[in-house]
Amino acid sequence: MYAKSTTIKNKTGLHARPAADFVAAAGKFQCKLNIRRTNEEESANAKSIIRLLALGLSHGEEIELTGAGDDEKEAVDSLIALIDSGFGE
Amino acid sequence: MPATQRNGREGLQMLLKGNPVSGGIAIGKVYLYKAFSCDVHEAYYEKGEKTQKLAEWESAKEAARAELTAIADSFTRDGAADKAKIFTAHIDMLSDEEIDEMVREGIENDCAMPDYAVDKTFAEFIRIMGKVKNPLIAARAADLRDIRNRLIRILHGEPERNLSLLSEQVIVVAHDLLPSDTATIDRSRVIGIITEVGGPTSHSAIIARSYGIPAVLGVPDATKVLCDGALAILDAAEGAVRICPDGETVAAFQAKKAEYDRIQAETAAFLTAESLTKDGVKIDIGVNIGSDQNVEYENCDFVGLFRTEFLFMQNDHLPTEEEQFEAYKRVLEKAGGKPVTLRTLDIGGDKSLPYLELPKEENPFLGKRAIRLCFDLPELFETQIRAALRASVFGKLWIMLPMIGGMEDIRRAKETVVKVKAELDARQIPYDKDVRLGIMIEIPSVALIADLAAGEVDFASLGTNDLCQYTCAADRMNPGVSEYCRSLSPAMLRIMGMAASAFNQAGKPISVCGELGGNPDAAVLLVGLGIRKLSMSASCIAGVKRRLSQITLDQAQKAAAQAVNLPTQEEVLRCASEAGDRN
Repeated sequence: MYAKSTTIKNKTGLHARPAADFVAAAGKFQCKLNIRRTNEEESANAKSIIRLLALGLSHGEEIELTGAGDDEKEAVDSLIALIDSGFGE
Repeated sequence: MPATQRNGREGLQMLLKGNPVSGGIAIGKVYLYKAFSCDVHEAYYEKGEKTQKLAEWESAKEAARAELTAIADSFTRDGAADKAKIFTAHIDMLSDEEIDEMVREGIENDCAMPDYAVDKTFAEFIRIMGKVKNPLIAARAADLRDIRNRLIRILHGEPERNLSLLSEQVIVVAHDLLPSDTATIDRSRVIGIITEVGGPTSHSAIIARSYGIPAVLGVPDATKVLCDGALAILDAAEGAVRICPDGETVAAFQAKKAEYDRIQAETAAFLTAESLTKDGVKIDIGVNIGSDQNVEYENCDFVGLFRTEFLFMQNDHLPTEEEQFEAYKRVLEKAGGKPVTLRTLDIGGDKSLPYLELPKEENPFLGKRAIRLCFDLPELFETQIRAALRASVFGKLWIMLPMIGGMEDIRRAKETVVKVKAELDARQIPYDKDVRLGIMIEIPSVALIADLAAGEVDFASLGTNDLCQYTCAADRMNPGVSEYCRSLSPAMLRIMGMAASAFNQAGKPISVCGELGGNPDAAVLLVGLGIRKLSMSASCIAGVKRRLSQITLDQAQKAAAQAVNLPTQEEVLRCASEAGDRN
């Protein structure tokens, strides 16, 4: 298990294209990936576009991403970097 | 009445009513469009077929992906990137790992037939999506339904059915249209749209308008009453659908349609023209907007009314300062330096907010609405003013206060603006120091002191809908008194003329942003009364520009001078329509 937190940087939040980009990137890894708001229990499969959209993460929200599997560290680090990059917005 | 009577040529003539959402007239055969009905039953397969059933799911997914890719590609080719995006989003959802897992589990563990497993899985995800608070995301449930229908249709071995595969011109009648229906609609063959559900802001309405297809939505039981192949007349001007009309009616509507099409074609040429009277007097044409979507600012000179309440009504929470700032900034930037008249929150009366409980009032239109409500909720008002001022550096902002009844209201609102500006100054947040502050003139008590008001504000705009209901004491929402709401009565002309003179004398701009501004004949009289700025919904621009080109300023002034002394509205209307040379 490997987890890391960050804040959603881009304006639109994890909706629409950023959500699709995020899921596409997550899908490249083998490990299980879960994402949740730092202050909430409910988490979502970070490889599922629908779960991610349903979670409705907006700009400024703090999230935690957890990976479990062989490539967990690489997966979590690179996805957190993707969020921090602001998806080019 | 037996169903057969409604069919065919001898069928019973009937008249149905709905919401006219996209103008025009269509005469043609009904095409009853039942999007594939997702008829799925709980069903299980025999033990030995597992591999085969899983393969069926896989190939259905592949087939769906191929269909979606083809649709997306064809839109990309046509340069319709926004529509292509809908379908690439469908592909993303189709590839969702959890959906795949859940369907596979259903097939593998429960021996569910693939269609049943798909239906059960999507039902769950549609439920999850529908629960999301953000309405934009919740609306994605419609996309999931669309994908589910596609998969189940493929699993049932039925061919793709959509509105792009029509063999003749038809009026499409449907319960509702899904995004994939409207996106793939064959615009040369679909001459009209009738649906059972949907209002002016529904997906179907927006698409119909953007394609210029006449549409009447919200016609109850349309798919039951209208039969495939029956003749129908859709008149979107009156929101009426005539079924099985007789020859006489058809001929009358053919003539009406020809006239409508002719005028449309002639008028359309005026859309991009500069708005000048026949003798070359420039009349500024403004556009009224609710949000920033799809407005062609190049056909107008300013935004005469930016209704901010839509931003509040579309949300499930009070929009934050940041959300407002972004929305205002977008509009200011898109307007490209043309003045944007932002009207501060106008709720109460006929508009409410789902998340803001307001006390019930006996007479909401005479109650605490618009600026009065903002005075009661200073934090809300200040937030909006702050967001607007912060956005002002991205364009040319004018702030307009609704429901102003007298100098007291003007001064009170100005205090708030001064206070917010001081705060911004203290925090060194930039804003445009030349932001103008003006009022709506929609209450007679302020119209009557327009000369005093003109000394206190930078501009005014006549909100003719409310000015009419308050001047005539006739509730504009009550159809029973609509005949008393006489917006072009001599009384209305006099009160508007008074306000126009007062502001003209003070050298301050006055515009019209109510419905009258978009009425071509009314525009003649308003110009005659001294108005040089008319703002209207985008669809009215061409018609008003055209009418103005037919009159000289002198003719308009003479018509107005005559009209204010005519005894009735009927005579005013005749006077206005006869002014200048109609061509």
